[in-house]
Amino acid sequence: MEPQDRIMDGDLQTLGLQSILKMLALSGKTGTLLVHSGPETLVISLRKGQLVALHEEGVPPSDVLGMLCLINKLDPPRAHGLREASQGNLQLAFRMMAEQGWMSASEMQQRLEFAVMQSISHALRWVEGRFAFHRQVMTMESYMQPLDVDSVLLEALRQADEWEEVGESALTRTTVSRWLPEVSKDVRSLGLNQEHIDVLCLSNGEIPLQGMAQALLLPEARVAHIMARLLELHLIEVVDTSLEADLQQDLSNIIIMCQHTLAQQRQNTTPVQHLLGLIHTLGQCINGLLIHHGTYAKSLRGRGQLPISEIVRYLERRFSQPLHTLARQQSPILETVTFANGQIDYNEVVNLDSLVKGEQLEAFYWEAVLGLNSFMRTIFSTLLQDEVGNSHTGRQLNIVWKAFMTEVEQEIQQYQLYRAHQNVQQNHTNTNNRRTDALPNGPINNMPGNQQWSPETQRRLI
Amino acid sequence: MVEPTVLVVDDSPTVRKIVQMTLQREHIRVITASDGLSALTSVADEIPAVILLDIQLPRMDGYHICQIIRKNLQFRQIPIIMLSGKDGLFDKMRGRLSGSTEYLTKPFDSVELVQTVKKHLVDWQSRMPVRNQDMRPRLRRRG
Repeated sequence: MEPQDRIMDGDLQTLGLQSILKMLALSGKTGTLLVHSGPETLVISLRKGQLVALHEEGVPPSDVLGMLCLINKLDPPRAHGLREASQGNLQLAFRMMAEQGWMSASEMQQRLEFAVMQSISHALRWVEGRFAFHRQVMTMESYMQPLDVDSVLLEALRQADEWEEVGESALTRTTVSRWLPEVSKDVRSLGLNQEHIDVLCLSNGEIPLQGMAQALLLPEARVAHIMARLLELHLIEVVDTSLEADLQQDLSNIIIMCQHTLAQQRQNTTPVQHLLGLIHTLGQCINGLLIHHGTYAKSLRGRGQLPISEIVRYLERRFSQPLHTLARQQSPILETVTFANGQIDYNEVVNLDSLVKGEQLEAFYWEAVLGLNSFMRTIFSTLLQDEVGNSHTGRQLNIVWKAFMTEVEQEIQQYQLYRAHQNVQQNHTNTNNRRTDALPNGPINNMPGNQQWSPETQRRLI
Repeated sequence: MVEPTVLVVDDSPTVRKIVQMTLQREHIRVITASDGLSALTSVADEIPAVILLDIQLPRMDGYHICQIIRKNLQFRQIPIIMLSGKDGLFDKMRGRLSGSTEYLTKPFDSVELVQTVKKHLVDWQSRMPVRNQDMRPRLRRRG
C-alpha cells in the first residue's frame, strides 16, 4: 500500500479502535484500516462507512473445515475436496458449501459475520499498537454482505466485556486443550450440555480456543468458560504448545537419526553383521528415547533444573521392570543388558563374538534383536502416553513411529527369510545325503542363498 | 491464501512421514513420492513450490530425476533440495552438477529442514504457472 494513500495514522493509546471505526463510519469513508499490535495485524475494508471485509494476520489459521467434521457437520471427504478447491480461503470454502447445499446461505452469512465480530472484539482489547487508514481499498475477496459498523461494535464490545470476566482464568484465545489420557468414563453421566460436549470433542491438542469459537459459533469468552469448567472436571488439560513443538522436534530428530543408522547397516553383507547392525540401531534408538524422556517426562516438568541422579533414578524405576520382564519371559539374553546412567548398556551382547562363534552367535544376536525390538516399542508407547497422550501431536508421532517400525520389521523379516531358506537347504541336504559344503555358511553374498534377500536389499548391497 | 506445496521424494516411509509432519506444522502442504517415476508424475500434476529429493531411490536415482526436471521448461525453476546420507565433496558436487539448488545431509535436523525449505519458499508464487490459481471446477466435477 502506497504511503501517499494514507489519510491518517496514529497510536492506539491516543485513539482507540472503537473511536476510529465510529469516526470512519460516520464520515462514510471508503478505504482500508490497518491496526497493528505486536505480531498481530487486523486489516479492515470499509466502503461508504460500512464494513465489507476483514482479514487477520499473525494468527495461525484454524482448520474450521476439519472442526466441522469433528462435530459431524461435514463429511471428511467433502472437507478434503473443499480444502483442495478453496486453497485455504475459508470464505470461499463457505461459499462453495452454500452453493453445494451443505450449508444454508444464512449460516454462511452468520459464520462470516461471526468471524468479523470475534476479530474486532479481540482487537478492541488492544492497548498498545498503531493504526493507519488508507484511501485505497485492499483487494480482499469477500462474500459477506456489508455490515453496519455500529451494530458490529455493540456486539464486539459486549463480547470484549465477557472476556474481561474470564481474564483471571489465564485462558487466552490461543489456548489449546486436549483430553486427559486417564479419562475413560462416559462424559454424559457428568451432566454436560451439548456446548460442553462440543468443546470436549474439539479438545484434541491442536485447535486453539479461538478456532473452537469459530466452528461452534460461540463467543470466545463462552468457550473459555466451558473450557474452565472442563478443566475443573479434569476432563481436559491445557497444552503447552511450545513445549510440545520442542518435544515433537526432539523425537523427530531421534527417529531420523535411527532411520539413518538403520539405512547404513543395510550395507552389511553377512547375516551376523546384519543382526549386529540391528542391535546397534535398536540400542541407539532406545538410548535416544531414554534421553528424550529424561527431558520431557511429565513428572519431571516444571521443577527447574533437576539433578542428573534424580532423572537417572526416574528412568531406571520406570523402565528396568519392563526390561526384566522381557528377559524373563521372552529373551533371556536381555539379562546381560543393564542400566547405566539412565541408558542401557548392551556391550555384553555386542561382545558375545569373543565367547561364541557361528550359528550360536547368530542365535544369540537374533534373540537380542527380538528382545530389544520389544523393549524399544514398550519405551516409545510409555513415553508417548506420558508426554502427549492421545493428542494430535501424539497421533502424528505415532504415525511416524509406525513407519519406522515397518522399516525395522522389514529388516527383521529379511533375516527370517534367510533363516527359513537355510533350514530348507539343510533339510534338503540331509535328505539327499549331499556334501555339507553345499550349505550356505559363508558370507551371504558368496552363497546360493543370496537370492533370498529381497531385490531391494540386493540393490542396496550392489 | 494459497498454501505452498512441497514434494518429498524418499524411499523411506519414515523420512517421508517425518518431513510431512514437520512441514505441516509450519502450514506447508506436503505431498510425497517413494520413487522416481511417481515423483515425476507428482511434479507434473501438482507443480510443487519446492522438491526435497533423496539420492538413493529405486529404479531412477535422484541425480537423474533432478536432470529431467531441469531440462523441462515448465518446471526448471522449482528449487530442488537434495537429501543424502553421503556428505562427501564428490557427492555434493555431483548433486550441484545435476542441477540441485541445495544439499541436506542425513540425518538432518528438523529445524534445519524447516529453515532450508522456508528459504526456498520465498517468492514461490512468482514461480508458479497460472493453472493452479483457480481450482473450483475440480470441486464441481466431484459433486
